[in-house]
Amino acid sequence: MRLRIERRLDQPRWLAVVVPVLSVAAALAIAAVVLLVTGHNPISNYRKLVDAAFVQTGSIGQTLIAATPLAFTGLAAAAAFRMRLYNIGGEGQLYMGAIFGSGIGLLIGGSGSASPGVIAAMVAAGCIGGALWASIPGVLRAFLGTSEILTSLMLNYVAGYILTFLIFQSQSYWRETKGFNATVFPTGKQLPSNAIWPQWTLHTQGGLPIPLGLFFAVLAGVVLWVLYKRTKFGFEVQVLGDSTGAARYAGVRIRRKILAVMAISGAVAGLGGASQVGDFSHGLDGDPNGLQKQAYGYSGIVVAALGRYNPLAVLLVALLIGGLDNAGNTLQGADFPSGLVGVIQGIILFCALGGEVLVRHRIRVVRPVAATA
Amino acid sequence: MNHSLLVVLIASGVAYGTPLLFASLGELLAERSGVLNLGVEGMMLVGAVMGFWSVQRVHVGSAALSLILGLIVAAFSGATMAAIHAFLVITLRANQIVSGLALTIFAGAVGLSSYIGSDLNLADNPSSHTFQPFFPNAMQKWPVVGPIVFGQTALVYLSWLCVIAIAYYLTRTRPGLNVRAVGEAPGAADAMGISVVKYRYVHTLVGGAFAGVAGATFTLALTPQWVNGITGGAGWIAIALVIFAFWRPELCLVGAYFFGALQALAPELQARNISLGPTELWTNALPYGATVVVLVLVSWRGAARRLGAPSALGTAYAREEA
Amino acid sequence: MATIELRGITKRFPGVVANDSVDFAATAGEVHALLGENGAGKSTLSHIMSGLYRPDEGEIYLDGEPVSFHSPRDAIDAGVCMVHQHFRLVDRFTVAENLILGDRRGAGRSFQLRPGAVVDQVRKLGERYRLPVDPRARVWQLSVGERQRVEILKALYEEARVLILDEPTAVLTPDESSTLFETLREIVAEGRTVIFISHKMNEVKAVSDHVTIMRAGRVVETVKTADADAKQLAALMVGRTLETVQRTRTGTVEGDVVLSVDGLSAESHRATTSLKDVDLSVHAGEIVAIAGVAGNGQLELAESIAGLRRRTAGTVRIGGRAVDGVRAAHDAGLGYVPEDRLGTGVAPNLSLAMNIELKSYREDQLGPFLRMGRMRERAEAAIERYEIKAPGPHAEADTLSGGNIQKVVLAREFAGKLKALIAASPTRGLDVSAVETVHKHLLDAADRGVGVLLISEDLDEILALADRVLVMYEGRLTEAPRDDVAAIGVLMAGGDATP
Repeated sequence: MRLRIERRLDQPRWLAVVVPVLSVAAALAIAAVVLLVTGHNPISNYRKLVDAAFVQTGSIGQTLIAATPLAFTGLAAAAAFRMRLYNIGGEGQLYMGAIFGSGIGLLIGGSGSASPGVIAAMVAAGCIGGALWASIPGVLRAFLGTSEILTSLMLNYVAGYILTFLIFQSQSYWRETKGFNATVFPTGKQLPSNAIWPQWTLHTQGGLPIPLGLFFAVLAGVVLWVLYKRTKFGFEVQVLGDSTGAARYAGVRIRRKILAVMAISGAVAGLGGASQVGDFSHGLDGDPNGLQKQAYGYSGIVVAALGRYNPLAVLLVALLIGGLDNAGNTLQGADFPSGLVGVIQGIILFCALGGEVLVRHRIRVVRPVAATA
Repeated sequence: MNHSLLVVLIASGVAYGTPLLFASLGELLAERSGVLNLGVEGMMLVGAVMGFWSVQRVHVGSAALSLILGLIVAAFSGATMAAIHAFLVITLRANQIVSGLALTIFAGAVGLSSYIGSDLNLADNPSSHTFQPFFPNAMQKWPVVGPIVFGQTALVYLSWLCVIAIAYYLTRTRPGLNVRAVGEAPGAADAMGISVVKYRYVHTLVGGAFAGVAGATFTLALTPQWVNGITGGAGWIAIALVIFAFWRPELCLVGAYFFGALQALAPELQARNISLGPTELWTNALPYGATVVVLVLVSWRGAARRLGAPSALGTAYAREEA
Repeated sequence: MATIELRGITKRFPGVVANDSVDFAATAGEVHALLGENGAGKSTLSHIMSGLYRPDEGEIYLDGEPVSFHSPRDAIDAGVCMVHQHFRLVDRFTVAENLILGDRRGAGRSFQLRPGAVVDQVRKLGERYRLPVDPRARVWQLSVGERQRVEILKALYEEARVLILDEPTAVLTPDESSTLFETLREIVAEGRTVIFISHKMNEVKAVSDHVTIMRAGRVVETVKTADADAKQLAALMVGRTLETVQRTRTGTVEGDVVLSVDGLSAESHRATTSLKDVDLSVHAGEIVAIAGVAGNGQLELAESIAGLRRRTAGTVRIGGRAVDGVRAAHDAGLGYVPEDRLGTGVAPNLSLAMNIELKSYREDQLGPFLRMGRMRERAEAAIERYEIKAPGPHAEADTLSGGNIQKVVLAREFAGKLKALIAASPTRGLDVSAVETVHKHLLDAADRGVGVLLISEDLDEILALADRVLVMYEGRLTEAPRDDVAAIGVLMAGGDATP
């Protein structure tokens, strides 16, 4: 008896939705086994997770806050991966966006309530920072054919060192130099008050904070969706993502596409970085145990893959994974195994990959040929 | 003379480069069979933590036995991680790049290795046994060759044996010919009765085993203790190394020691109060920046050089009809 | 007693029964032809004989004993070797390495490789069968004809008792084909069996002892070659009287030059395929055919004209306008039906609708935005007009059959204001009705005033459709007398046709 994997001739729509959902369910089941085997109680841990993610007061707000950067990096990854450009540099591009965004905020910000002009400038700066950083692997790929996977990844480490350098190893513009605390523990300079991004509070359930960044993320998601599905640019991206030969034949300018898509991807990640500063930290976080430990860029890849690179789905998945991350952070401690979040995310991704096979193929059992007399 | 910067750098380069060498040899084997495994960093970390655990918690007679057992455990752990990737990309024909990334996330610094490390409280103590320099002290003092060749641990010598063995395997044996065929033209290999699936599984798992040993080199020899994320990106450099070495084991050795020396540069310069540009930033970033430069140079040579990569690397194989 | 015999073989694929209760037998010392049109089931049958496919029903017997092949290796070990149409060689290996790959006998069992010994053996083998090849050469350096020799040598090295050759002359000149036939006769004189798959009657008549004709998955009849005549065979093969596609136009063509190429040179990775100073012109309503064995620069020529390959010298004019690059060529009115349908002609995982828009998506839109509704309408119209069999416009391109994929390509290329069309091997691998459809569309286009440049390895096709014939050899074009097949053959082999 053997398994034969056959291509489906027709792909039902519902399968494309059911499979990611099932992947998550399967992943949770497998992770439960892992927990059991290592002497933890899966039920209680999962309940703690769900509690911390969605149920406890203030948890949804925290989840939204955790989901915001993931939405950005998820969109960034999806934008590039859709064209088979494996931009793993979302992490570094986010850092650069944070650096550029906070830099501008510090430069032109002033007192008073949030200023649309300053915020717009920060948005632009964040996008530019991320886009520039992503353009390094982009240019190398477009003109020299160098694999963007490794180059974008290496630049993550470089960006991380730059970030740490700016706050911990120098007296840079970003570093807070005044005050007693500054000499004891290096921190980033706080943004002037009109550069701080506003937060709206929905008055339900004790107040649901909605950071401005989240709006931008949703907006970015919609824009990306329209761009990829409804424009000539998007058409070319789809063709190039499918077959380089067909793309060339169709007259797609391949180099330009690679540059453009990498820049877009980087820009979205960079915007996430600006959001980190403007929405949350209000100052550049160069602590190696701070922003750099969050691994938003890498989680973004998980989000993108689970959302099958569809920008709108990515937003939803970001919410889910955001909840997971939020719970992980809240629960960190002796009771809750560290690293569980990465394990679950990894398993989800494995299941999603396996599930992807089901969407495009059908598995049949082949019985051996019976010998006829 | 033995304390001059150059000699120390080379000696340290060899030491630091050894995990890179093991990991890149493993990845080389997998890639020669056509499987791209980006999960090296994750596999190394799991190997590192499991090897460490074995030495700390599993009590066997002597130090030597304990360390050997540690290596075996590390190899086995790495191979197990690789098996996940192998199943996904060989049997289910999933996207090799995303699967490798998933493995890194699953097993890496925010995943399984961290889970194991903290659950078992492995970060509390340094390693009970570590690999010591293999040759007697007297030999280590010989000029130049002393520290560079004779001052190394058994792991280093093991890695040299591996380089020779793999080079011989690939060029002078039948299974070596077969695996090269599998990586270049799986259709041809299949038609000749060579099981593409079997070869890919074996080489991917062996690749994982090597990665596990590479990780254990950190926790049992270089830094000898467990810290979360101890490999610090070495797995990624190892992947770049394979490309840099044009998929040839002897060049992996050269590359590994080169990058090892780069990594040894930072602490050495600091110890001598030499600084290379605006502080640590340059020396920290140097290995990663150098990798980018190397990758660019390798691909700049254009199509002719790309004759290095196994033609079927990264693509799933399915016989037209079963 | 038959060396190899198949009884009741049935094989099904999704949507089609490729072999339907097939009985077949071949004996030692004979060349047995398997004749049929594309899609008749010959290839499938041969793949079953050589172990690549497993039959759904039926048995295989070797020398009267039932055998079961679980893989190609089993078949090779039993002495049944296939010489493939699309070679299964490792390009980067040497000839010697390719030959010993997978060998399980004697020296093949050794763990160590001893390259020297094999080289000698291979050289001797090559000399004996008049298939000279340098054992140390790397396969990617060899020409297509030489690669075929390696494939045959491989089968002989493996001491095959039954050799199956699948359309071997597709890549040979008429002369090389004759040499091949002589080699085959020598091989069977030693007591081996050769099964020769083809869709060309004249070849079958020239080399085989028996012919088994297949049609639509079934065996129609098996006859002794000497007793059968061409018309009979043709009728059996096709199942009805052949409608020979003839050009209805005679006389000289008066139209404008729609495609002109002057002094075109382009580089390629091998000297034999790089273009050297090529000139040609096609008038409106004319069909100009380029004959030639694959691997003489045809692909490079098509790509250079279409703008997919950089020219080192020369100009290309479409409708009088000089063009450079894919977009310019398209805008000037050039259509291109590429040889590589799935790799270049369509984006395999995208929908039919998108593929039909592959060239026209830039036109007639709302600024940067696509008019989705209109795109869908155009796709549906194309499906109807070209009778494309598919579940709908959303079907992914590579789930369609070869013929339908080609229809998608045609639908797309014929959509705009076409002045000139390049069709490269447009009917390769298609079944009878698809071939007819393609030919019909090409002729219609010519009647409408399009200038057609047909590049094909199939002389029959060329002779049926062309107004003028050119021959391509090692990157150069020569004009050939349209009706003198012998002369064309000489030119295809690089000879000089002047009497």
